[in-house]
Amino acid sequence: MHCAECKGKGLCGLEKCPILSRFYAKAPFSFKKEYHGNSPSVFIGSYGYPDVVTGPLLIDDNDHPPDWINGQYSIEDIVAVRSRTIRGRSKEIGHITELQEIALSSKPLPVDVDFTKPISFRLTFDGIMAPVGLSGELKDLQVLENAHVARAVDKVTSDTDLKAVEALDYLYGSGIDTYKMTSLLSSGLLGKRRRVTPTRWAITAVDDMISKKLAVSIRKNSSTDTISIFSHELYGNLIIFILIPGEWKFEMIEIWSRNSLWNGENDFIVADRERGIKKNYSPITGAYYSARLAVTEYLSPRHISGTVIVIRRISSEYWAPLGTWVIREVSRLAMKKMPVTCENVKQAEEIVSSILGYDDWRIHSQYLSDLTRQKKITDFIGF
Amino acid sequence: MMLKAIIDADILRETIEAIAALVSECRLHIENDGFSMLAVDTANVAMVKAVLQKTAFQSYEAESCEIGVDITKLRNILGTPGKTDQVKIELDETRHKLELSFMGYKYSVALLDTNTIRKEPNEPNIELPAKIIVPGMELNNAIKASMLISDKIALGVDTQEKNGPFFFMHADGDTDQINKTFGPTEVQFVNPVDSRSLFSIDYLKDMGKIFGKSASVEVHLGTDHPVKFIFDMSNGNAHFIYLLAPRIEAD
Repeated sequence: MHCAECKGKGLCGLEKCPILSRFYAKAPFSFKKEYHGNSPSVFIGSYGYPDVVTGPLLIDDNDHPPDWINGQYSIEDIVAVRSRTIRGRSKEIGHITELQEIALSSKPLPVDVDFTKPISFRLTFDGIMAPVGLSGELKDLQVLENAHVARAVDKVTSDTDLKAVEALDYLYGSGIDTYKMTSLLSSGLLGKRRRVTPTRWAITAVDDMISKKLAVSIRKNSSTDTISIFSHELYGNLIIFILIPGEWKFEMIEIWSRNSLWNGENDFIVADRERGIKKNYSPITGAYYSARLAVTEYLSPRHISGTVIVIRRISSEYWAPLGTWVIREVSRLAMKKMPVTCENVKQAEEIVSSILGYDDWRIHSQYLSDLTRQKKITDFIGF
Repeated sequence: MMLKAIIDADILRETIEAIAALVSECRLHIENDGFSMLAVDTANVAMVKAVLQKTAFQSYEAESCEIGVDITKLRNILGTPGKTDQVKIELDETRHKLELSFMGYKYSVALLDTNTIRKEPNEPNIELPAKIIVPGMELNNAIKASMLISDKIALGVDTQEKNGPFFFMHADGDTDQINKTFGPTEVQFVNPVDSRSLFSIDYLKDMGKIFGKSASVEVHLGTDHPVKFIFDMSNGNAHFIYLLAPRIEAD
């Protein structure tokens, strides 16, 4: 198992991920025993599941990654915001009513919090979730205002006969964003058999369920008739999409450049793909599902299908893992831009190679090989 | 447009599943001697032809017409009835619905506008010199075994061996290989001619699931040419042809 495949899950057996440990930075902060301010969302840990640590995220700022991008935050700015964020902790799923109130609300709720001891600083990073700096064990948590609940959110959370996947589909159709859905799912407010779900898992579950649902309808659409290339780069993450006429197929190639976050002296490349419905968990982990979400969000409203090949190249500029929202948002930004259209697959390959600066990626794409090597039945029979 | 028919659920289900292996919708021709369809998959790589004869039905009464059918939806609906349940099929011309009744349920399924479905290809008359007959299950097992090693598989006939002709399947993975040969005792060589073509396992595995249920499959092969699988199901009342385009061997 290579570090780029595990991304800090601890599969090597070491107590702490040595790469993530580099970021357990210390910073000056006044370590208080109480907090009076806003709580924009909740956090559910995954360690020791099902006996997980739960609690509110506490900061007078938003917990909404698209706002960080709109506000042109740098990686340093994001890490700084998150360093100031306090993660309240309580064991045995304590204060769940208050947490669900925070998760339900469409705007941050004012809270009063008492901690058992002064809060401590330990900036923790994770490949899937955004980092968090401070944490403290909860003694008391009081929510000072009623939640502002969107109508669609109220409808699905109060219907205990609605499956989680159907609830998410409804929320998506009502324009509720995926970050809100993650909060609702993780705090146990969706589905028939409701339970608190680690934030890390809920993020990928939302990306997976929404994009799977969109893919089912995309498969029925007629194919795009042009080859288009979309690309965008932010926070050292270069994301390129190649959309090719054909049936719905999705392939992702992730390239960890030399000396980038999870990697050593050589480039490390992981690839994964699906035709039809994916069954196993992707070796690319959460990033695969975040990129697939952005692609299906592009194809579905345009009523087209196609074969999509995504290349994500991570450079050493991405010095701290910020979470899979980076892939989701950079992909969405790429799909918003005017694509470059190509005459044929060969030209598309050349353009992608020129953006990346090399052509080593090409052999990892099975679907591109299929396109150039697979003959058409129409070459042999007439129409 | 008129159709009134009764058929065993199992026979209809097998036919729809064989079509669904390649396409999600098709134009279905209803004739006075049964149903037929011909379609190419969205990627233009494979073709399916299906004929369900009048003799497959308990009762059958129809006027010639062409309807657009959502095959995926039909397959899902036909998941419900048991093997021996009878399905009553009727066409509601005015409402453009196909009505399926079984076990007290009555489904009215909207027909698709045939203009929105891809044009049918010409009836294929491609010449493939080698012709052999293989038990369906054996063929499917060999495809499943190759899936563990590679995503493509070579199929061919070798007549140069001194122990008689062989039908072979060969898959090359990045590091591993698998070989399976069938001799004259296992398969019937109707036309043993040297041939070899490479195919995508993605397609073969979907086709294999279907013809694996057939006692014998006629395989037609050439060199760098498509493969044709011809087989029957439902006691010879349903006929199928799959045609799959080859891949070019890696250079």
